[in-house]
Amino acid sequence: MIGALLAAAAQLFDDGNAAHLAGDPARAVAAYEAVLAEGIRSPELETNLGAAYLRQGRRGLAALHFERALALAPGDDDARADLNEVRRTNVDKLEGAEEQGPAEILIRVLAPLPGGPAAFALLGAWSLLWALVALMALRPASLAGAPLGALAIGCLVLSALGGAVVAGSAAARAIAARRAVVVAAAAPAREGPTAKSASTFEVHEGTAVSIEDAAAGFARIKLANGLTGWVEAGALERVVPEGWGWRG
Amino acid sequence: MRSRTGSALLVALLCALPASAQDEAEVAASVDAEEVAIDGTVTLQISVTTASKGEAPDLELPPLRDFDIVSRSQSEQVSFQFVGNQPTFRRTTVYSIALTPRRTGKAVIEAARVRYRGRRYQTQPIVVRVLPPGRGTPPPRRQQPDEPVPGSPFGSLFGDDDPFRGARPGARDLLLRASVDRERPYVGQQITYTLWLLSRVNVSGIDKLQLPRLDAFWTEEIEAPQQLVGESRVIDGVSYRAYMLRRRALFPLRAGKVAVDAAEVEVLTGFGMLFSRSSARRASQKLTIEVLPLPPGKPPGFDAGNVGQWELSASAEPTTAAVGQAITFRLQVSGKGNVRDVQAPRLPAVPGLRAYDATSTDKNQVDRGQVGGTRSVEQLLVPERSGQFVIPALAMETFDPVAGAYKTLRTQPFSITVRAGAAAVGAAGPSAASPQNLLSAGGMRPIRLKLTRVEAGAPPWTEPWFWPAMALGPFAALIAAGILRARRAIDRDAAGRRVRGAARAARRRLREAESLLRNGAKAPAFYAGIAHALTQYLADKQGVAASGLTREELAAALTARGHSLAVVQRLATALDECDRARFAPGASEPAAQKALLDRADRLLAELDRGRKEAA
Repeated sequence: MIGALLAAAAQLFDDGNAAHLAGDPARAVAAYEAVLAEGIRSPELETNLGAAYLRQGRRGLAALHFERALALAPGDDDARADLNEVRRTNVDKLEGAEEQGPAEILIRVLAPLPGGPAAFALLGAWSLLWALVALMALRPASLAGAPLGALAIGCLVLSALGGAVVAGSAAARAIAARRAVVVAAAAPAREGPTAKSASTFEVHEGTAVSIEDAAAGFARIKLANGLTGWVEAGALERVVPEGWGWRG
Repeated sequence: MRSRTGSALLVALLCALPASAQDEAEVAASVDAEEVAIDGTVTLQISVTTASKGEAPDLELPPLRDFDIVSRSQSEQVSFQFVGNQPTFRRTTVYSIALTPRRTGKAVIEAARVRYRGRRYQTQPIVVRVLPPGRGTPPPRRQQPDEPVPGSPFGSLFGDDDPFRGARPGARDLLLRASVDRERPYVGQQITYTLWLLSRVNVSGIDKLQLPRLDAFWTEEIEAPQQLVGESRVIDGVSYRAYMLRRRALFPLRAGKVAVDAAEVEVLTGFGMLFSRSSARRASQKLTIEVLPLPPGKPPGFDAGNVGQWELSASAEPTTAAVGQAITFRLQVSGKGNVRDVQAPRLPAVPGLRAYDATSTDKNQVDRGQVGGTRSVEQLLVPERSGQFVIPALAMETFDPVAGAYKTLRTQPFSITVRAGAAAVGAAGPSAASPQNLLSAGGMRPIRLKLTRVEAGAPPWTEPWFWPAMALGPFAALIAAGILRARRAIDRDAAGRRVRGAARAARRRLREAESLLRNGAKAPAFYAGIAHALTQYLADKQGVAASGLTREELAAALTARGHSLAVVQRLATALDECDRARFAPGASEPAAQKALLDRADRLLAELDRGRKEAA
């Protein structure tokens, strides 16, 4: 069953690639979206879908899927290069902020860390550490002369390393879970979560934001330079959609 | 002389004498309006035509009970005509008198009288209706003797939009007048707001000029004179000095009626320090501007900022370059309008030409009151391969407010030739002949053909089992520590129990020896029981293994634990007695055995007490 699903998804993916290479981005987008609808999560799929959207001139959606590719594979060099290329032509140029904000730099550093394996390593080293502590306390005659102390220190160091990697990975996932991309051509950022509130600035498609709060169909966004406002939620797409079952 | 319709002309011709025309005079009087507001002026003109030679006519002005004279002027002209084949010169003197009424209702300009060559002439009275303030029909505009002639700089400045049209200074000496050159502009179209000061007195300076808020407009200063320079203007027949105080270009931001509040100024009048100076505050009239929305039919891609008369041009420098050599693409939008709001078209991506971020510079200019300028957009293009590249035509949708129509501006497409780049001069020497291919990083990556699947689900630390599993290690260690502690506690209690029960156990053993004595058992068994009770007590309570020690060692050990020497000696004696009785049995008196038993009891008590004291 799963094998058949994967085969069908691979076929759709190939169709999308063929359409993209033939200069038919609309068909490519349809094929790639169909693969996504099958529940397939793939950095290559997200990257190709972003490229197809870019060919259609939908820069916001292109940036969104490049971001999703990076969320799935933080070390994906192609996705990062494409995302940078889209950002280069963004309408919004943030004053008082580097091209990459602190959050993005943190994600870039922490996200590639192997959080899953580190979690298992942490669990193993931690448990072994306490077992060694117990053995040292009990001092059974059969283990007289065994280097229990050295082993315990090794486990402690390993636990610390594993804990740091897990904490970093968790922090990166938490930041990524709040991250969103403006997909509307332009969206006014207002002082409050109502359409009657005064607009303080405007964001345009392709700009990455952090969603800090949500209320009444509006999202409180913060840009990399700290600029904050309420934007209609429909103008944004979260980088990590709910369907991913992503937990930080 | 009369240049307008609608004006009332009442002419009175008196004394049409049939005598020689040389002796006749023609007298006429007229006003330029039948109605006038109480705050307006009406101009009375009296013309007297006489022979050019001879005495001048003597004019006697009417008493003017209902009017005040605001100003008066006089002009003359001489005409030539044949009367009976005789050339005749006639002179016409025109008296212009500006009048302002004193009351509303029907006002009468009485007859004027003229005396000429002994004859009397007079005009007919003229009736003028005087209306409440602001209600009068504005008098028709007429050419004034000292008004700038058409074509003069001053005249061309006003053109058809006379800023003083409708101005009614009345008898006022100072008037602040605001004007706009266009009252129904389109959104984004320039209108020019000018503030004038009209004065009949000497103005030595102005102070505290306060312009109204112009929030509904994008404004651009055109002129703000630092010195007062006046021009002569005649308004309603009254001569004024007109000082232009401010001129601004306004670009309406949205459609609808926009009210422009009054400007205010403090005017200093008089002549310097020597003569009386005074100040007066004046406010201009309010203005209402009806901003028209842009007409329907906006072309796709039209930007609301592109209102004006614009021209679009594109160029590249150089048009022949080597791979990697920067080419400057320049797009220019120039013309009349608000250049800061203009949106120039973007150059689309040209495959093979890497485009860097565009930079934009604006140059503003004001040409005869019209704001305009040039927006230059420059973009660096770096060829990544050799060949022929076409910069496509760029289109810009604009709205021309003068023509009232949308226009599409287009640039012409042009080619750029890129040749293979010359190699750099390296350490091995010049190698200009070898081609160089610039492979710069960047650009979109090709799509990927292989699909790999990843799980985006929850990491281990978010699973419900993870943190309890992390707690298992410390929990197990805690349990082990508890076990260890319990075991040590148990061990510690066994030794203590032995110490605490040593005296009781020794007495129990003495009672057993006593029962042996009562039951008639053999003496060695009794003495062995006594010795065992004492030595076991010493082992349990005192920690002294008496059986392995000589008597001296035993004495030393016990004295070291704080027991008195007498007790120790009695203990040694008792033990010696037991040894003798066990190993050299003989006649043993029961009384002696009973005595030994009592001594052993006392010794135990003394040893127990002695240990407590030592402790």
